Amino acid sequence: MAMSFSCASSSFASIFTHNKSITFNFPSHSPPISTSSFLRLTAPSRLAIVPKLSQTETPSVESEAVAEALEFEPANETLAESEAKGEEVFAVVMVGGRQYIVFPGRFLYTQRLKDAKVDDKIILNKVLLVGTKTSTYIGKPVVPNAAVHAVVEEQGLDPKVVVFKYKKKKNYRRNIGHRQPNTRIRILGITGYQDSPASTLP
Amino acid sequence: MNKKEVFKLAKGFRGRAKNCIRIARERVEKALQYSYRDRRNKKRDMRSLWIERINAGTRVHGVNYGNFMHGLVKENIQLNRKVLSELSMHEPYSFKALVDVSRTAFPGNKNMTPAPKKEGLAILV
Repeated sequence: MAMSFSCASSSFASIFTHNKSITFNFPSHSPPISTSSFLRLTAPSRLAIVPKLSQTETPSVESEAVAEALEFEPANETLAESEAKGEEVFAVVMVGGRQYIVFPGRFLYTQRLKDAKVDDKIILNKVLLVGTKTSTYIGKPVVPNAAVHAVVEEQGLDPKVVVFKYKKKKNYRRNIGHRQPNTRIRILGITGYQDSPASTLP
Repeated sequence: MNKKEVFKLAKGFRGRAKNCIRIARERVEKALQYSYRDRRNKKRDMRSLWIERINAGTRVHGVNYGNFMHGLVKENIQLNRKVLSELSMHEPYSFKALVDVSRTAFPGNKNMTPAPKKEGLAILV
């Protein structure tokens, strides 16, 4: 039931409860990631609606309660607010020399990020465009202060590619296999783009 | 490579090339050469496909591809063609915003008239 409520936010909650003890890898100026903000939203003012939300509850219950709280109080400028907005945000981010269109809650494969361990929180700074349901923020070339938060899920290898070189009549054959290292990252949210909207729909 | 690997790579080949080792080996070697060459060609083909799509998307708004890209370059927008083509397909409002930005930066299309709309059976022509 909690899973059907909003799948993305429940997955966020499960990631966050798993990563509660992990500290930030990068000293970031961005607003704090949602574990603290979830608790901040639910603890002080919503006790009438969400009775007795303690910090040790199971992830499914926490996400349901948090989702209810978020609908009523989108007052804080954190990842929580982008969830409350309905998560209709996308961004174009540049990682590893390549550009990707990115949605919160989905994962993508990028070139291997060295010095990134599994379950590290990562902030991608080169955000070239952010789009919401009503407005588009076009970067020239980068949207100022925009950041995409992501978590490293896995550092693996691409499927094998056979590199076969052959020259006819010269007895030259080389058979080499190649697996390119990659990193799978899951996008948590997109923040910091609320300045200079280039165009807003009527 | 030994015969087992050759036959594994020869699945789906035509006639004796999937069953008889002498012929299969030749065909598999040729297939691997083609895949080496085509990994490089794929990058070219995809880029031209993206350009086609961007062209179609911008002409809907009365701007052709060349002027659109010139306007983006002038505005120092560094989105690549892959992302632009995907935006033109799936995010039409964002793409229209980009076309407007490009049009203000480089107004070059005073004479673009959209193709006349075909009615009825003329659509099939």
